[in-house]
Amino acid sequence: MENKIIPYTMLSEALNSTQELIERILPEYGMPSLRIGLEKINSVLDDYLQKAQEGFPIVGYHFAFPGEYLQCYDCVPVCLEASGYFLATLLLHGVEKYYDLIANFGHPYHTCSAQKASMAFTLDDLFRFDAIITPTAPCDSTCASYPFFRYEGKFPLIIADLPFRFDEKGYEYYGNQLKLSLTKLGKEIGQEPDYKKLKMALELENKTNKLQLEIFELAKTIPSPIENMYNAVSAATAILIPGTIEKYEFYKEMLEIAKYRYRKKVHHGGEEHIRSIWPYMLTFFDISLCEYLDRELGMSILFDIFNYNFSDPINTRSDLNTMFYDMAKKGMGWPMVKQSIEFYYPFINDCVRFAKEFSADCFIFTQSLACKQFGTVPQLLKEALKEIGVPMLIIEFDVGDARMTSLATMKEKIKMFSQTLL
Amino acid sequence: MSLQNDKFLNISDTISNSYLETTQKKVMGYYCTYIPEELFHAAKLFPYRIRSTGNKDTDLADIYMVRFTCSYVRSTLHLALQGVYDFLDGFVVCNSCDHSRRMFELFDLKVFNRESFTKKVPRFYLALPHIITEEGFGWYKKEVEEFKEELEKSYNINEITNRDLIDSINVYNENRRLLREIHNLRILDNPKISGSEALQISMANSSVPKEIANKELERILQILKDSEGIKTSNKRILLVGSIVDNINFTQLVESSGAIIVSDFLCFGTRNFQDDVKITSENNPLEDITKRLYYRMSCPRMMDDHERRLEFLKNEIKRANIDGVLLQRINNCDLHGCDNMLYEHELKDLDIPVFNIDRESFQADTTRLQTRIEAFLEMIT
Repeated sequence: MENKIIPYTMLSEALNSTQELIERILPEYGMPSLRIGLEKINSVLDDYLQKAQEGFPIVGYHFAFPGEYLQCYDCVPVCLEASGYFLATLLLHGVEKYYDLIANFGHPYHTCSAQKASMAFTLDDLFRFDAIITPTAPCDSTCASYPFFRYEGKFPLIIADLPFRFDEKGYEYYGNQLKLSLTKLGKEIGQEPDYKKLKMALELENKTNKLQLEIFELAKTIPSPIENMYNAVSAATAILIPGTIEKYEFYKEMLEIAKYRYRKKVHHGGEEHIRSIWPYMLTFFDISLCEYLDRELGMSILFDIFNYNFSDPINTRSDLNTMFYDMAKKGMGWPMVKQSIEFYYPFINDCVRFAKEFSADCFIFTQSLACKQFGTVPQLLKEALKEIGVPMLIIEFDVGDARMTSLATMKEKIKMFSQTLL
Repeated sequence: MSLQNDKFLNISDTISNSYLETTQKKVMGYYCTYIPEELFHAAKLFPYRIRSTGNKDTDLADIYMVRFTCSYVRSTLHLALQGVYDFLDGFVVCNSCDHSRRMFELFDLKVFNRESFTKKVPRFYLALPHIITEEGFGWYKKEVEEFKEELEKSYNINEITNRDLIDSINVYNENRRLLREIHNLRILDNPKISGSEALQISMANSSVPKEIANKELERILQILKDSEGIKTSNKRILLVGSIVDNINFTQLVESSGAIIVSDFLCFGTRNFQDDVKITSENNPLEDITKRLYYRMSCPRMMDDHERRLEFLKNEIKRANIDGVLLQRINNCDLHGCDNMLYEHELKDLDIPVFNIDRESFQADTTRLQTRIEAFLEMIT
């Protein structure tokens, strides 16, 4: 059978070689999050590739659509944003050539590189989906770029309208949208939703969430028992392998390591000099920045946007409507979605609170080119943090495209900023 | 008579105008045409569409908005921070795009919170769905109903009655009818009006009370009917894309050898094609919402590209278009991606098409003009 998800094969191969390098080169306890994370992700990807070979329908999904919701179908879930970003991370020369390919097609340079790569993969016939499902949030880039898949890729595009109102009314509306869109998806791929399977995936996610929350709490201690790399790998597991036992195991093992370090007061980089909070994203074009900060600057990244958003557990024991309501709450509280559909006030208040609770020395706000929905918050946040004496560095960059702000520039900026803190 | 130096058209050159300065009504500022203007009118408010016309700086706004944001919105914020929009007595924002939506917070924290500014300005927010469905309509209908209550409360209005709403619908439908009539004179073989003048009319129309606008539009219509029309061999262009609130750009296009005989802009055809159809005397607010929600969309409506393309194809025939000029303000993802699709779709139909990016204010003039001239020369 033809391979309809070649980028996942590329990802799997890149993961294999990276994993091999880690196993062979790093000492046994070096960067455990990367070692464990890659192993777990690889295992799930192998399974997906196998299922794709067997002819299961390929369902593309936006990262803001919690992927575990797709487990009510026998399908191969493929995260469009994760595909590009993790190839950007793992391929030696990144995925810039794909960004150029879609730019030559006429896609504006200022849209999100998260979608650019998958659009180019589609243009290059590397991706063939049986359907794609997406919410209408978090950003203009999503709303603007996804129609490409319908009109150019000719893939059925199913849209769940995510209301820009973070309240009861919004949860009910989105719960209904989730139900409708999943039903539509089922029709598109010729399957009935298996809610029993969905409930199992949700319950597993509930348990995983609990572990994440514990790790998050441990990051409050000094020194932080969480290595910076954890944040990047955790983001990958969250959007690439949701609702799987492997994801659960990743957090379980990471929690054990964090607890050990906490008891021993050990810091991954040796000594913690600066405690930083990254309220937005890390670089995905080169995650070695995480290790550089830990080891060279003694700067802990206590968490980034993918690692501080926690929703209430989804009630799977009541009726379906309640379950969908909770699923909506989770979807609307998803990293970046929550901050996008809400006004800035809670985001700023949360950051100020986190700064105190986590004894942060500074904030680093990475303003991505594509994220217009965040383009007016950095200065407001900087001013709010200044009032409690916490400085913030703003770096404009592209999460996936190394050409906009290079790793060297980022390192230099952070280094200079850190010197003002010490 | 011609429209040169016409007093109504001149209103579009500035932010303020004599009606605004002398009105007894509360002025309600808004960015996007997806808001229920008829409702403001029925509430005896004066709806005013926020523009950045004539402004060339964004220095003050650049402090709060990163450089990847839209220069039109940045420009309006710059003006607001200078106090140019201090005349507003109300401010409504909907989630039309990521740039303008965030003005809700910035106006709150930085514009209306300035030390020198003591007026209390109520702010409102409407959450508009991104797709066109029955459920979405239900959602927006509720939003508008709640908004009506908020307006009544904020401005101590006893009740905005159905009668008030129907009267306002009639005023607005008349306004749209007049704009359509003017547009019909624009697409003639010898257009009676240039693209720049049409844009001026549209901008002035959103800056004065609608009763005044209707009288002025009647007057202009008569002038146009009596005029000979523009005899030109210039290429007939359809202008599509991001907001244009400055005739510098349309003048640049028209001085390059084109005449803009139609458009697909929010200060243009997109805003006057559809009327409110009153289905019952009992629920005019629902009828207003229906028009708003189901009207010809802009790219923020994620699932409606086909209908927009269909409009373009029809308009190309109707207005005998020689070429389509797609433009976007830099960093406008919505129009940028919609334009990308149009470019391919129109090329497939052998329609000359050109896709450019620009800033909201006139910049990079020579480069733009060279490119536009080259495009026009290529049209046979």
